[in-house]
Amino acid sequence: MMDISLCLKRPSRMGDSKRMRMTSNFQWLLLTVLLLYLMNQVNSQKRRTPRDLKCITNNLQVWDCSWRAPSGAGHGAAYEVCFENGSHSCYRLEKNVKIPALLPGDHEITINPLHDFGSFISKFTLNEKNVSFIPDVPEILDLSADFSTSTLHLKWNDKGSVFPHHSDVIWEIKVLRKKNMEIVKLVTHNTTLNGRDTIHHWSWTSDMPLECATHYVGIRCYIDDPQFSGRKEWSDWSPLKNISWSPDSQTKVFPQDRVLLVGSDITVCCVTQEEVLSAQIGSTYCPLIHLDGKNVAIKIRNISASESSGTNVVFSVEDNMFGTVIFAGYPPDIPQKLNCETYDLKEIICTWNPGRPTFLVGPRNTSYTLFESFSGKYVRFKRVELPTNESYQLFFQMLPNQEIYNFTLNARNPLGQSESTLLVNITEKVHPHIPTSIKVKDISSTAVTLSWHLPGSFAKIKLLCQIEINKTNSVHELRNVTMKGIENSSYLAAVDKLNPYTIYTFRIRCCTDPFWKWSKWSNEKQYLTTEAIPSKGPDTWREWSSDGKNLIIYWKPLPINEANGKILSYNVSCSSDEETQSLSEIPDPQHKAEIQLDKSDYIISVVAKNSVGSSPPSKIASMEIPNDDLKIEQAVGMGNGILLTWNYDPNVTCDYVIKWCNSSRSEPCLMDWKKVPSNSTETVIESDQFRPGVRYNFFVYGCRNQGYQLLRSIIGYVEELAPVVAPNFTVEDTSADSILVKWEEIPVEELRGFLRGYLFYFEKGERDTSKMRVLESGRSDIKVKNITDISQKTLRIADLQGKTSYHLVLRAYTDGGMGPEKSMFVVTKENSVALIIAILIPVAVAVIVGVVTSILCYRKREWETALLKHWK
Amino acid sequence: MDLRAGDSWGMLACLCTVLWHLPAVPALNRTGDPGPGPSIQKTYDLTRYLEHQLRSLAGTYLNYLGPPFNEPDFNPPRLGAETLPRATVDLEVWRSLNDRLRLTQNYEAYSHLLCYLRGLNRQAATAELRRSLAHFCTSLQGLLGSIAGVMAALGYPLPQPLPGTEPTWTPGPAHSDFLQKMDDFWLLKELQTWLWRSAKDFNRLKKKMQPPAAAVTLHLEAHGF
Repeated sequence: MMDISLCLKRPSRMGDSKRMRMTSNFQWLLLTVLLLYLMNQVNSQKRRTPRDLKCITNNLQVWDCSWRAPSGAGHGAAYEVCFENGSHSCYRLEKNVKIPALLPGDHEITINPLHDFGSFISKFTLNEKNVSFIPDVPEILDLSADFSTSTLHLKWNDKGSVFPHHSDVIWEIKVLRKKNMEIVKLVTHNTTLNGRDTIHHWSWTSDMPLECATHYVGIRCYIDDPQFSGRKEWSDWSPLKNISWSPDSQTKVFPQDRVLLVGSDITVCCVTQEEVLSAQIGSTYCPLIHLDGKNVAIKIRNISASESSGTNVVFSVEDNMFGTVIFAGYPPDIPQKLNCETYDLKEIICTWNPGRPTFLVGPRNTSYTLFESFSGKYVRFKRVELPTNESYQLFFQMLPNQEIYNFTLNARNPLGQSESTLLVNITEKVHPHIPTSIKVKDISSTAVTLSWHLPGSFAKIKLLCQIEINKTNSVHELRNVTMKGIENSSYLAAVDKLNPYTIYTFRIRCCTDPFWKWSKWSNEKQYLTTEAIPSKGPDTWREWSSDGKNLIIYWKPLPINEANGKILSYNVSCSSDEETQSLSEIPDPQHKAEIQLDKSDYIISVVAKNSVGSSPPSKIASMEIPNDDLKIEQAVGMGNGILLTWNYDPNVTCDYVIKWCNSSRSEPCLMDWKKVPSNSTETVIESDQFRPGVRYNFFVYGCRNQGYQLLRSIIGYVEELAPVVAPNFTVEDTSADSILVKWEEIPVEELRGFLRGYLFYFEKGERDTSKMRVLESGRSDIKVKNITDISQKTLRIADLQGKTSYHLVLRAYTDGGMGPEKSMFVVTKENSVALIIAILIPVAVAVIVGVVTSILCYRKREWETALLKHWK
Repeated sequence: MDLRAGDSWGMLACLCTVLWHLPAVPALNRTGDPGPGPSIQKTYDLTRYLEHQLRSLAGTYLNYLGPPFNEPDFNPPRLGAETLPRATVDLEVWRSLNDRLRLTQNYEAYSHLLCYLRGLNRQAATAELRRSLAHFCTSLQGLLGSIAGVMAALGYPLPQPLPGTEPTWTPGPAHSDFLQKMDDFWLLKELQTWLWRSAKDFNRLKKKMQPPAAAVTLHLEAHGF
């Protein structure tokens, strides 16, 4: 490594070897011996000179050089070391020399042992490249522990003032655990030397509570000086420092009440003097990790979220148990849906959703701080309750003359924090309170004033309120009212275009301009508008009594929208050119009056009165204009009503009146009437009183100047039904081959429709056998006759057999269906001619046979007599 | 001890006790001043009711504490619960107590337990649990009033708390959550034992207060069945 040259102190002995070359083999031997001797001499000289010069530096400023002393040199041998470093310097010293760092390049160093006459001077060439840079052992200034967080804090001085240059330093720190010094952490830490002494810190959080076992820490360094060209080496490790917990006599479990993130790992240990038998987390048993002494630990991996009271970890010893509670949860989620608004421009209410549950409750629950950056004010929120997903809210007092608010909502729990921000112009986020104290005051029968109270400082903004007007059996109406906001006061709005004497229900809601949110609807306020005079006279009709002497005047109660109040009474008057008859103060429930009149030409006037005044009169002429060309027609309705039509009559100037009544009632009969305009030619009559199967009479009157003329008389049904009874029928005459049947009409009430005909069935049959048989037209043995002439009341059935029983059935039908049947059994009379023939023919045959027989017998007797005579 | 809700053994024991003491029920046709009998009976009934109520509450609360506190065989040592009044007493000592001493001990115990229970209520993290605890506290307050009524009827003065000995609920950093849970467990356990002991005390007192003749008559009637 080091280029060393030796300089002998005494003259050379080369003349001896020249003499030995003069012989041959002996000479070679001698030469070899000589060479060995010389080499021995050289080595001997080397051993007698300082050698193996080594230089190291700790600080780059001073080189500490040492060498091996010559053999035989005594312990206190002194040397003279000289070197050139710009000037010639020599030092007298014993074994090693500290020299100032030499400039780059080769430097000659001579080391001359003093007082040792057998030694030689050594010369060395020294270069910085041959110098090793080994920093001093770092010194740990302090090692402390935060047991609550299981964190070690290391503090040391880099002694940077010693080094002339700025250099990078690598620190290597090792952490050892337990008495058997298991390395648990080896880490490098980079710093820079800046020419000053600097204190450095390093912290490390242990996965195991520091109370569980002794922890040791050591440090070493490596300085990477860019200007130093020699070899750089790590310093030695510093002496280890340790941290240990001084246990008292009581057994303890660590960590206590620790809050940690769900899914993380944790080591829990029990520091004890007793034998731990088992350990469990919740109800799950865990394997024990043995530490120093009887201390044990368990490792919990990927811990799940705790219940509200935390997760219990319990260590059991023989007669005791020890434990701790771990709270595994989440840091607060970013507050979601942060919204700030005001009800009254006095206080801002901010609401938010906490997001994911943290699983931490009670003292570890999330606390919220709402900070407003312009004013620097803040409010805090703390819930003790188990958090739910419901919205959280905070109130912030508004500041005078501040409209823009920059809110930051900070959520914090032991595991972390999060925040949401919101910049809001609060005048645009007004959600007014519900309007209260709704009051209504009359202006007139068609207008009222509504007043309501709306708390809030709305002096600088405009309000838009909506009034909902509800009327019974009517669609609700909304009216918008814009008004200037005022400070905590009542607001007024006029509501017109109402109906008199009508119950209205009002409710109000308000918003601000610009719109943000409507307030809730106020409570409903019901109000009855005041009465006004009835707007129209009642709908009037008149009928002459059956004897034609009295006129009966009918009128309908006014609908509520025309009565404009409670109708108290009616006034009726009949006026002619000559006289006027009046009936006054007819109380309201009565809607009919009868007046005896001498003649038929009157104008009847009916007036309705309420508490405010009288209606305009309703007028109707009493005269009936005769109509000779009148036919009774039929009509059938559509179930709920009936359509009536008529031809346009230009003479009808006022209106048409259709009156109707039940046809079974006696005259004058009036169920109701309906007025239709004079330009109409049809109308549908509908009434709740109409019933299917009931015959009604409809009369269409045309109104002319002088009076009413009956134009059409119609009988009809709104719906036809089948007859409810069968026609009564009797057998008028019976012969041997025919039967004459006669029947009666069915009464109108039981007919329930217009009679369309009869069906007559007959068949042979005895009473007993046919009783149960159903007559069906499809059967071949049943004969059917359909009688469509409804005026026909008799029927002769011919071609029957004599002395035979027949089953007769009769039923009527309408368009509504077939009525029930009525049946009868009739036996035809016997046929006498046939009987006589039946008797006479056998008699005649017998007579003829007797005559023939007699003749034959007589002839035979004659023949026998003649033959006998012949034989004889 | 088994603190689980819905324990049928407890109900059975309660029923057996009631049946056992049935012959000793005071005669209903007694006339004149009823004496302390009815109030003792009411106190006894209230005690049994509280035993039943506690069974439900303890089940809920132990589930809230989590395993292993809610496990049936969990039986931890009594560590930090030293300030709780102990219900257990040597049988001979218990028998040697007079009525006044018994009632005084009952009154003092429930006064202390009620105070601790109220502390428990403040600590509970869920609203539902707090409601249950508040309901039980009200019932226990009623029992205290009832015991005071019995003592007054018998002419015994109410015990006065010594100054500075009022129990206080002091949760804090010195008291870890685990030790707190142990205390809660023991509080419920002591409450159950006290209620059981009180039921016996009041039953004994009830029998003692019955007129001998009526008791004998009823006893004979019972045997006649």
